[in-house]
Amino acid sequence: MRHLLIALLLPTSALAGVDEVIDSHILPGYAGFAAATAALSQSAAQDCTAPALQPAYHAAFDAWMGVSHITLGPIEEGGLRQQIAFWPDAKNSTGRHLGALLAAEDSAVDRPESFAEVSIAARGLFALERMLYEADLNGYAAGSYPCHLVQAISADLAASGQSLTEGWESEHAETLRSAGAAGNNTYLSEREALQALYTALLTGLEFDKDARLAQPLGSFERPRPRRAEARRSGRSLRNVTLSLTALRDLAEHLTQGQSPQTRAAFDRAITAAEKLDDPVFEGVNDPSSRLKVEILQQSIASVSEAIQIEIGPLLGVSAGFNALDGD
Amino acid sequence: MKTLTSIALATTFLSAVPALADKAAVLTNYADIAAAGYGDSVTTAKALQTAVEALIADPSDATLAAAKDAWLASRVPYQQTEVFRFGNAIVDDWEGKVNAWPLDEGLIDYVDAGYGGATDENEYAVLNIVANPKFTLSGTEIDATEITPALLSDTLHEADEVESNVATGYHAIEFLLWGQDLNGHGAGAGNRPATDFAAGEACTNGNCDRRAAYLRAATDLLVSDLEWMTAQWEDGGEARTTVLADEDAGINAMLTGMGSLSYGEQAGERMKLGVMLNDPEEEHDCFSDNTHNSHYYDGLGVQNVYLGTYTRVDGSVVSGESLADLVAAADAEVNAALLADLSATMVELGELKAAADGGFAYDQMLEQGNEEGEEIILSAVDALVKQTKSIERAVTALGIDTIAFEGSDSLDDPDAVFQ
Repeated sequence: MRHLLIALLLPTSALAGVDEVIDSHILPGYAGFAAATAALSQSAAQDCTAPALQPAYHAAFDAWMGVSHITLGPIEEGGLRQQIAFWPDAKNSTGRHLGALLAAEDSAVDRPESFAEVSIAARGLFALERMLYEADLNGYAAGSYPCHLVQAISADLAASGQSLTEGWESEHAETLRSAGAAGNNTYLSEREALQALYTALLTGLEFDKDARLAQPLGSFERPRPRRAEARRSGRSLRNVTLSLTALRDLAEHLTQGQSPQTRAAFDRAITAAEKLDDPVFEGVNDPSSRLKVEILQQSIASVSEAIQIEIGPLLGVSAGFNALDGD
Repeated sequence: MKTLTSIALATTFLSAVPALADKAAVLTNYADIAAAGYGDSVTTAKALQTAVEALIADPSDATLAAAKDAWLASRVPYQQTEVFRFGNAIVDDWEGKVNAWPLDEGLIDYVDAGYGGATDENEYAVLNIVANPKFTLSGTEIDATEITPALLSDTLHEADEVESNVATGYHAIEFLLWGQDLNGHGAGAGNRPATDFAAGEACTNGNCDRRAAYLRAATDLLVSDLEWMTAQWEDGGEARTTVLADEDAGINAMLTGMGSLSYGEQAGERMKLGVMLNDPEEEHDCFSDNTHNSHYYDGLGVQNVYLGTYTRVDGSVVSGESLADLVAAADAEVNAALLADLSATMVELGELKAAADGGFAYDQMLEQGNEEGEEIILSAVDALVKQTKSIERAVTALGIDTIAFEGSDSLDDPDAVFQ
């Protein structure tokens, strides 16, 4: 009888979707990122050379794609999103700041607390990508300064991964769950919890469409393949596919499977991404292969549209402000 | 008779209850404030134009200093209009002409060797228009012998579709007046000598006549661009007509402007990112070291829109029915919280401004390991983030929660990418 009662009550509570997102999407996602970055750091400590570290690098980046769209909670408070993944980088800040560290052999790499003061442009996944994949950087030997820098970046990522998963486990999961309860000053109502997750969902899609794809697309007259995200490690398309997959998972849990149109739109977009044989979007230079990237972009726009038509009314929310609202 | 009296009393009583603030009046006041803000921007840009002409006619430390002062004064009203940008497409589409940033200043004039050369992102990062009357741009031969407003706006601005090729607007003028800030994290702004505009042998760094022509053309263009936008907010102007056409959409535009400027743009892109990058180039007004004022008047503009009041450069006040009145009628608690948040932000931005005015330069605050500077900036960031939450709550309280989602091209025009 008690089980039946719970079964009857659950689907009617919008917050059940929030619980499900926390338990089945956010917490496992951050645990995975913490584990992958810890493995990266251990691997770097054992053998820092580029060929040895590249597999652990990919695993860490894959894990990041499972949570990079979670804009609420400890990641926002610490400004960690850009510390982990600073991109786009229109002014080549990563190149400049890494170059300065390498030229000076800056001793900040010797201690985690001093490396934590270094510009975010020389930290995180994109700084590490340069060290592991740029031909004029990745030939360093074990024990050299670049090796210590790679170890410092890896350890810093592991520390971020650890603090994010701890922040969710120890505090923010409960804050989000107790939205609207007395004393909860972050989410004043259940609706605000739903709105925060709904905004994260749409913002993630916006980033895929307007940054990951729009940057290399440029314009028809002036394509910009060199602006593709993570092109050095060959991950540009992979990141879009993984991001869409993670966002589909978020949508499914948020609506507890009650959003078939959104599901279908996601499936179409992910299929389009999987069929695209253009790992770093080099094809944007060529009119016919460019069209395929544009079709993928369009299919992502259709997912956003489906979400706004289907999930917005279902949850009774609209998108709040997001970090991409600026220029 | 008694019945009539009580009806009359009842009517009086009813009309005295401010149950429904008048959305049309709120929107009219919003448009009035915009027209006044852009009008003041024109007035102060014309004063800059006069000062620039005086500098070109007689380049000296005094005339250069006067032109710089005029530029600084022109930023005060303009920054207070930035809140109109998000939410009003007509402003957002236009603002890159006058306020684009950051810029690869080597496009315009000489730069220090440490600036570097052409980059992956921008092959024209060191084009140096001042030194080169003729050059090739994206495969086209350009004749820049005469530097005119049209050349700057139609050919050179965002050349090669690169956003940092900023050829026009406040920041191009700022660079021509101050020059590069080569002090890194040290105090001090750019230090261009007045002789960069001198005639004949006194000319420093070459091509002084072309530099002066560039400065004149960019300033003239700024004035005409601002005049155009002022007209859009006056009676019958397109911006005013649009916000008044649909009351809920207009109110939504007001709140969208407040929230988007507070959060994604100011707190995120301009302030927090600068701290995290520890990069002096991440200063919004980097040549003049005026970033603290830029941030302060941005914040004030947000508060102006909510309170429905704007103090003009001549000291007169434009005010009327406000968004605060509307929100108070819908939910007094939300209004009280938002009012408090806006005040708290202005206190934080005021502290930032006071610290910088007192000699603690913004680029010093950005330096790696500068805890005090970081604290000053991040306190203001936190206040801006907090007020954004309250702005979202105001949107909900008013029941107009259809905040424009930026990626909604597909909703407006599903076939856009195929055209």
